[in-house]
Amino acid sequence: MTEISLLVQGLLDGSLYALISVGLTLVYGLLRILHVAHAGFFTLGGYLCVVVTNATGSFPLAILVAIVASGLLGMVIYRLVYHPILRHPPFVALIASIGLFIAMEESFRIIFGEQGVAYIAPPLQITLQMGELFLPISKIIAFVAATTLIGGLGLLAAKTRTGIAWRATVTEPEMASSFGINIINVRYLNFFIGSALAAVAGIIFSLTTNLVEPTSGDVWSYKALAIIVLGGLGSMKGTLIACFALGIIEAYCTTNIIGQIMNRDAIAFAFLIVVLMIRPQGLFTKR
Amino acid sequence: MKQTRFTPILSFTALLFASSVAFAGEIKIGFHAPLTGFAAADGKSAVHGAELAVEQINKRGGINGNTLKLVIYDDQASPKNSEPIANKLISKDGVKIAISGSYSGATRAAAGVFQKAKIPYISAYAVHPSITRAGNYVFRTSFVGEVQGRAGAKLVGDVLKKKRVVLITLKNDFGRSLVRGFKEKAASFGINIVSEYEYSIKDRQFGPIIAKVKADKPEAIYATGYFFTAGPLVRQIRAAGLKSVIIGQEGYDSQKFIEIAGKAAEGVIITTSLDRDSKRDVTRNFINAFEKKAGYKSDMVAASTHTAIYVAAAALKKAGGMDPAAIRKGISQTSVVASTGTISFNALGEVQKDVLTQIVRDGNWHYHARISDKALLAPPNE
Repeated sequence: MTEISLLVQGLLDGSLYALISVGLTLVYGLLRILHVAHAGFFTLGGYLCVVVTNATGSFPLAILVAIVASGLLGMVIYRLVYHPILRHPPFVALIASIGLFIAMEESFRIIFGEQGVAYIAPPLQITLQMGELFLPISKIIAFVAATTLIGGLGLLAAKTRTGIAWRATVTEPEMASSFGINIINVRYLNFFIGSALAAVAGIIFSLTTNLVEPTSGDVWSYKALAIIVLGGLGSMKGTLIACFALGIIEAYCTTNIIGQIMNRDAIAFAFLIVVLMIRPQGLFTKR
Repeated sequence: MKQTRFTPILSFTALLFASSVAFAGEIKIGFHAPLTGFAAADGKSAVHGAELAVEQINKRGGINGNTLKLVIYDDQASPKNSEPIANKLISKDGVKIAISGSYSGATRAAAGVFQKAKIPYISAYAVHPSITRAGNYVFRTSFVGEVQGRAGAKLVGDVLKKKRVVLITLKNDFGRSLVRGFKEKAASFGINIVSEYEYSIKDRQFGPIIAKVKADKPEAIYATGYFFTAGPLVRQIRAAGLKSVIIGQEGYDSQKFIEIAGKAAEGVIITTSLDRDSKRDVTRNFINAFEKKAGYKSDMVAASTHTAIYVAAAALKKAGGMDPAAIRKGISQTSVVASTGTISFNALGEVQKDVLTQIVRDGNWHYHARISDKALLAPPNE
């Protein structure tokens, strides 16, 4: 029974990884930037949801505000930070991204305070009981949200005109441009969707922990980087598989002898190293 | 025209003189705490507590006619920051006494620097045993981790009579030294430690650990942590349907813990040094004055730095001057009644006082029990 609940825990945690990693993969696939500050949108989503819920009493409104505001800020960040330095080597953008992440964390601290924020009356705190298995409804929502949102994104990319333009821009930016696709708009869309998904992950995180701190995104920033490298940089399928694999591996390893030796977060990197030794290109490589 | 250009210079010179006059009667106390980074919430309480003590002392006329002034630096709870800060406090600011409002790692690193320079240094709430072992200039106004861990074992095995226990241990100086003390005395209180799980300070999601703990069916869970790890942990333990008694320590000791854990916090018991239902005037006054100053309810960290400043003030008064050796002697001989108890030190610079246990009831910390077993709570002496 314990083994099954560990598996379920792993899948649930994996879906949260998926929500945050997909945005990072999108940005890398499109611009070849390791967008470290992506996790800042995770924290922002959590903060906005808690603050708006506490202020208005409306959780649905808070979700809407958190997702839309994070998405819009993602576009602004692209325009102000990344767009002007795209022609420089990738490490310039990487350094800018790290700086941006630190600035975001300190801004959270200044705006929302050192102590972090918590819901006065946390929404969705019901736990479903199935025999020995206790499933917090917030985690089930995470799982459903991750699968539907990412599935929807997949459909969007495969079936719609916008999706085709998007994929064309990723694989052949110059060719796409000459076919009349507005590359800049595709990039804006990319940052909006990626940042909004990170905000969804942050909202779900705030529901299970009831605590959003300035540094809440720390672990997620480097773990999401590990995940997208693991998945084979830029590959959506690889990223998703890496997310769930990591969730399950963490669930089993943190509670046995390996967990005594290394931190939960170190396990992600140990797994990364093992995979890269066997498959240097990651689990799946993009064509 | 000439006059308008000259006036600012004149007034600036005047200001310079005025300020140097003001500085003449000031005693600087070095202070470092985590004002940014993951421990910033505790750092803020630490500063509020220390500032409150300084304001109170200055209001009553200061020390031998001089006013106290805190020189505060942000160490982000990191040893790599606290060491240069200690050097700066000594050489640049010229402090003759300093206080740590920080965690064990940062305090350990700074303690060595202060000892080498022979500047008295007081750790307000860092628990690691090696801090006072830096030498005879280093003191601690709170419990060593092991002592509080031993009190935790008595609370679980003797006071609550719970024998089947699971440990959830925070993997850092704080968690490890507490658990060492707990394990040391567990057997003598008939406690059977079924299993131990460890987590890192960055963890906020405990699903896998809790799934395992459920299978262990413990009567009590001894979970080490700070309010920002323990709040989410306790909430998730209760959400998973686990009903075992949860025992925490002074790291939980903040209103924020109750805010985060919500209803799940009810019934959680901790070992600490601040009694919310205290009848003693010093403690009552502190609790009221702190809330007025900070705008939120007092916690262990604030009470500890408040206490440390009072100890420093008593020593400065006794020393009668700014000779570090005399101040050190003043601290070693002190006996101060402060917000966290009566403070006096043994040969190693450790304090001996009762451990208070507090329980969460109706969304607030309340008195639960007092552990005053002298032999059990004896701090290390060498």
